[in-house]
Order: sequence, then structure tokens, then C-alpha cells
Amino acid sequence: MAYKPQYGPGTSVVAENRRRQMNPDIELEKVRDVTDEDVVLILGHRAPGSAYPTAHPPLAEQQEPDCPIRKIVEATPGAKAGDRVRYIQFVDSMYNGPSQPYQRTYTECYRFRGIDPGTLSGRQIVECRERDLEGYAKWLIETEMFEPALTSIRGATVHGHSLRLAEDGLMFDMLQRCVVGDEGVVTYVKDQIGEPLDRAVSLGKPLDDTWVKAHTTIFHSLVGSSYRDDEEYIEYIVRIHSLRTKYGFMPVEE
Amino acid sequence: MAKIERSQKLFLDALKEKFEGQDPESVKTTFYNFGGLKQSPRKREFMKAARGIEMERGISMYDPEHCHLGGLPMGQRQLMTYEVSTTGVFVEGDDLHFVNNAAMQQFWDDIRRTVVVGMDLAHATLQKRLGKEVTPETINEYLHILNHAMPGAAVVQEHMVETHPGLVDDCYCKVFTGDDAMADDIEPQFLINIDKLFPAEQAEALKAQVGKSMYQAIHIPTIVSRTCDGGTTSRWSAMQIGMSFIAAYRMCAGEAAVADLSFAAKHAGVSQMASILPARRARGPNEPGGIKFGVFSDIIQANRKYPNDPARASLEVVGAGTMLFDQIWLGSYMSGGVGFTQYATAAYTDNILDEYTYYGMDYLKDKYGFDYSNPDPATTVAPTQDVVNDLATEVNLNAMEQYEGYPTMMEDHFGGSQRAGVMAAACGLTCSIGTGNSNAGLNGWYLSMLMHKEGWSRLGFFGYDLQDQCGSANSLSMEPDRGLMGELRGPNYPNYAMNVGHQGEYAAIVGGAHYGRGDAFCFDPLIKICFADPSLKFDFAEPRREFAKGAIREFKPAGERSLIIPAR
Repeated sequence: MAYKPQYGPGTSVVAENRRRQMNPDIELEKVRDVTDEDVVLILGHRAPGSAYPTAHPPLAEQQEPDCPIRKIVEATPGAKAGDRVRYIQFVDSMYNGPSQPYQRTYTECYRFRGIDPGTLSGRQIVECRERDLEGYAKWLIETEMFEPALTSIRGATVHGHSLRLAEDGLMFDMLQRCVVGDEGVVTYVKDQIGEPLDRAVSLGKPLDDTWVKAHTTIFHSLVGSSYRDDEEYIEYIVRIHSLRTKYGFMPVEE
Repeated sequence: MAKIERSQKLFLDALKEKFEGQDPESVKTTFYNFGGLKQSPRKREFMKAARGIEMERGISMYDPEHCHLGGLPMGQRQLMTYEVSTTGVFVEGDDLHFVNNAAMQQFWDDIRRTVVVGMDLAHATLQKRLGKEVTPETINEYLHILNHAMPGAAVVQEHMVETHPGLVDDCYCKVFTGDDAMADDIEPQFLINIDKLFPAEQAEALKAQVGKSMYQAIHIPTIVSRTCDGGTTSRWSAMQIGMSFIAAYRMCAGEAAVADLSFAAKHAGVSQMASILPARRARGPNEPGGIKFGVFSDIIQANRKYPNDPARASLEVVGAGTMLFDQIWLGSYMSGGVGFTQYATAAYTDNILDEYTYYGMDYLKDKYGFDYSNPDPATTVAPTQDVVNDLATEVNLNAMEQYEGYPTMMEDHFGGSQRAGVMAAACGLTCSIGTGNSNAGLNGWYLSMLMHKEGWSRLGFFGYDLQDQCGSANSLSMEPDRGLMGELRGPNYPNYAMNVGHQGEYAAIVGGAHYGRGDAFCFDPLIKICFADPSLKFDFAEPRREFAKGAIREFKPAGERSLIIPAR
């Protein structure tokens, strides 16, 4: 019987959104357009238009060993070209940010190849070959994974995730990498590590409360969906904990 | 699980003080208008001090406005003060770094410089081998000599160098016994009086454990253990004990029986506060990584002072434990710098963990009829998986809802590791206090971690990925290499050795199991009695209050060197 991913329990809109993001068979809603150059600017790893720096020669020019795994797993374009490994790091507000750290990692593992995600409380980083990264980053910014006020791209200083929102609705950022312009458009004036950009990058207006509440993947009893109310979700966590406890204590079948 | 009403919010006063004039339940605020670092009096003090030092030594030093992230501004949001929980004392975060807090230093000094040494072996040697008479009078004389010798004074040879009493005034030795008649004959200055220091039931239980034996509570000079290390304590102590026996009982200084006394004082009769560590964390005895959680819960004396409040007693262990294990052990012995303090203080400031824990106590009473204010082994709840699941689920959900309902509190605990440690501690304490079982408490901790992670799709830093997501499986195991009873686990337990924000709370969970039963001690009655001594520099019944005193610079530590350095 073929393995069929279940993506997680729960009857709430949060649980459903989590499954939607993870499931690669579902095409997520595209909410905005950004150019390839916009992505390169925000990432800050190379100048737009410059060649990809390499860590090794292209695989085709190397003497690859006769390895069965290499025959099974095709290298990503970035790996084939010998690109460096670089990163994008997101900060997600706990006030209904559309994606959240573990959720991002799970989603990326289901949808991307050749990645190394890292998950913390205030940030989530994914590292991979540079040209692969730019493609993944574009998808992560353009789709419902991103909301301009509640999602932020930051290499450092991430503690906005748990802080109250600023009066203009933006998540706190010590470095104020983005600002809300006259038209209410969120504009990046610094790259993810905080270096000023030669040209500002606009990521559109913040989405309204109805949208963020309907698309979020975090439970929140004050501004969103109450965790306690999703009884199925709680039940599964307790079940997993109980089974782990039992087989850790007495690792034999009864 | 079923939410219960609890009108009292212990953290509200702190939030109102910290976020003055702001609605603690509002989701929005203003940023970028606080004046950066200069909003903090302590940061201003640091900067001013650094300028003077730079002028004097000609080498640059503290310069946060230039050095923080390449000159990028810190202090764009409010730099908060913190209330040390239950004390009403608000302090700057900087004042809770152990380098800036003399009480924290003395807390660890007082543990590291302590050993308990039995007298029975020595007395048997004196009586049976040497035919010496041992009486209360000879013991008192011996103790008089020992309190002369232990700080670093000579008793046998002439023309010996000695230490200045003003530098080692914290060094002394007292004894204790379970034999009331013998205790009556010991000079009060040398006696740890169990009856006076402990509630009656605890005193009886402790004396029954000690029996007719007699033990010495030895505290070598702070300045010695600081200059050397924890492994010094038993060696320094044993040398002075041996010399004092020679002097008190007129022994031959070179006879072979001295070796028996030395062996007893150094090895056979000594209780270290901590065991040695393996090579990868190599430390001698009496260093923090080797303190078993059961021992640590006995070092802290809050259950002696608050026998009818196991939550309070446990929370004092949390404060002391996070300070020692997070700030000093993991934060400095094993790592370095400042981040660990921010993790640790979350568990003992602003009454947040206190509120979550007392919610658990109320829930225990409401649902299971367990009256935590009357600890008794007969009233604890059976530690079944269902009970642990229920307690931890409810306490954890309540904690998450409090953070959600009070955005200023979420901002207070701005890091996920802070929140994870605090919520899991409340769950673990509720489970251990309610069931009287330390492993049940640890199990509750791990359910909290899983539930937290799934609810908010985040947890702590990378380390939580390992320790807290596989902890369910080892929390009840007793098999070698898999598990151990909570009392015998410690900071060097394999799965606990690498992660800030856990070890102090684990110690409290272990202690809570006994405080919830009304036990007189958790693991070692000798250590419980030893640290009840009011002559110690640090009051181990009130560690959080002592830390607050240290933060406001009112704590007087030992280890003074002004006698031997130029006046400033």
C-alpha cells in the first residue's frame, strides 16, 4: 500500500490551512507579483545581474563517482551548476501570520528539493543552492505563505514575532527593514541582513483582518482560532505523547 | 481538561509597572521612540564607566552604540525592568546577570565550598584503634580547634603561614545529629539545631534518618574555592580536619592512624554536593554539572519555611536552579556571554510562572480534590498517564491563553525558549506536586512541549528539537542508558546536558514531588540539614529574595579582598 501523507489532524481552519500549505498537490493562491530582481535585492546575496558565485565546478565537468544514489536522485539546478549555499530567513508574527516556523519547515520539506531548513521560535531559515533558493524565495513571497505586515524577511534581530504590532499594523523590526508608504504599500528599504537597498522593493498592501484570520496557521485565542476548541488536534497530541511514553518505558508489544 | 476560573492574575501588577500607562491586553503599541539604549539607567551607567576605564587603560571597551550589529540601534522598543517574583523588587535585566549580582555569586560559592563529613568513622578510629576517649567535651574542643584551623590556621607545627581572618570570615564548621541528648551537649555555636530550624514533623523525620550519627557541615572559605575549584573543598576540609584531630586528641602527627582519619574525611565519610563529570564536560566534584536534582532540591530550603505551600517552595527551586544551571553552569562553564540570563530570568521574574503554577494548584483542587496547602502523601493523586495528560493539557492550554490574552506578557517573554520553559515548568510542577512523583512531573513537562509546539508551530531554539521532542519516551524509563528516577537525574543526564531553560525547572519538578507530599527531604537528609544553617552567607530558604537584594546591591557577600588591596 502506497504511503499517503495525512499532514496533520484537526477540524479548525488553522488545521486545514496547515494541511493546505503542506500538501504539494494543492496550488496555493498567488497573492502578489515580485520580479526576480526584487527577490535578489531582498536576499542580498549577490548583485542583480551578476553571475552566481560557485563553490565547485559544474557537476558535468567533474569526475562523478559511479554512485547508485546519484543515479536515483537528480541534482537540483543549483547543485548541477555548483552554486554556493545561501539562505532566506523568515520571521512570522504570532498575530495571525499566514505561516509559522515549523509549518514553513514542513511545507518546504514537502514542496522543495535540496534544502536544509532550521526552525526556531522566532525565525525559520532555509538554506540551499543559490539559484534554487531564488526560485523558492519567489514562491514563498508571492503566495499566501506571505503577508507584508505579518511576515518579514530578516537575517538577524527577529524578536518582532512575539511583540505587539506597531500602530501601522507592521510587526516590530529593530532595523525597520520595511516601511509603510503613502499608499499603504509595504516597501523594503533594506535587504534581509539590514543593508540599505539602492532601490526600494514594494511587496503590496497588508491584507485585511478577515484574510489573515482565514489564512493563518497559528492558533490564537484572542485574535484568531482557539487551540482549545480544536479537540481533535489536542486528542492527537495527547495520544502521540502517551504512546511515546509507553514505548519508552516498556519498549515491547504487550 | 476543563478550564477553571481564576480571577487573580499574579502577573498583572508587574505588567502594569513595566508597561506603565499601557493597556496590557492591547495588541498594538508604538515603537522606535524610546531613545535607544539611553532609556536604561544601567546602560547609561555602563557606558559612563567604560569611558573611564578606556581612559585609564588605553584599550577600548563597552561601546554598544558602535558595536551592536555593526552600529545598528538597540533599544528601539522598551527595555523593560523585571520584578523578581514575589519580592515586589523591580530590577534592570542587567542586574540579574551573575557577574553583576553578588547574591548569585554567593549562592554558588556557598554550595561549592560545602561538604558534609561524617564523624563516626573518625570516632571509631580514635576509640578502638588509639584508645582515646571521645566525649561531648572532646568533641566541643575539637570543633573549637577545627573552626580555628578550617579558615587556614596552623594547629600543629610552629612558624607556619596563616590566612587573615578578615578574608575568610565565612569559613566555619558546625555539626548535627539525630541524638537529642548528644545535641544538648554540643555548644550551641557549633550545633545546627534541627528542632529549631525545621517544622516539628520534618525535624522528627530528619532526626530519624540521621540517628545517633554525627556529621560536620563544612564550609571552606569562599576565596579558596574561587581561587581553586569545587574539587578543592573536600581536600582543604580533610587536611584541616586531620590536623584538628591530631591537635584535639593529642595524636602523633606521623602515626598511621592519621591516614585513616584522612581517608574518612576525604573519601569514606564525605558527602560532596556534586559528583565528578566525564571527560567531555570534565570537572571535579562540587561543580554545578554534577548536582543531582534531588540534592539540589534539598539544598533549597523553601519547603522548610513554607511547608504548606509546595508551589512556592518549588518556585524558589526554579529561581535558584535556573540561575545556577542556566546562567552559571550552561551559560558560563559550558558556554559564554549573556544570552543564558535572558532565558533563565523568565522563570523567576514578573510572577508569570507563579501564576501558571497556582492555576495548576487550583485545578488540582477543583478537579481532583487535592488540597495543595495541606501536603500529605495520603492525599496525592495516583500518577496515571491519564492524570498526567489531563493536568498538563489544562495547565498548558491555560498558559498559552494567558500569553495570548495579555500581549504585553507575550512581549515580556519575547523568546520562545522562555515561554516553553515557563509553560512546561508549570505543567511539570502541577503533575509532580499533585502526584508526589517526580517522573510523572517530567512526563507532564514533555506533553507541554509537544502541545506548545503544535499550537504555535514554534518552540524554543534548535536544542528543543532534540530534548523536548523525544523526552516523552525517556521520562518514565528506569532502564540504564534510557532513564532514571528524577531524583537521580541531573544536569549531566544525557538528554538534559545541552539545553538552557530546563535543568532548574527539572530540579524543581523533582523537589515538588516531595513538597507535595510534605516530605522533610527529597534525596539526602544530611544536605537538607546542612543548608538550613542560618550562619551561611546566603539564605537558601529565600533564593529569589536574595537575588533581588543582590540586584539592588544590598547583599553582602564573602570573599572580600579590600583588606589586601589598595583603597580605591
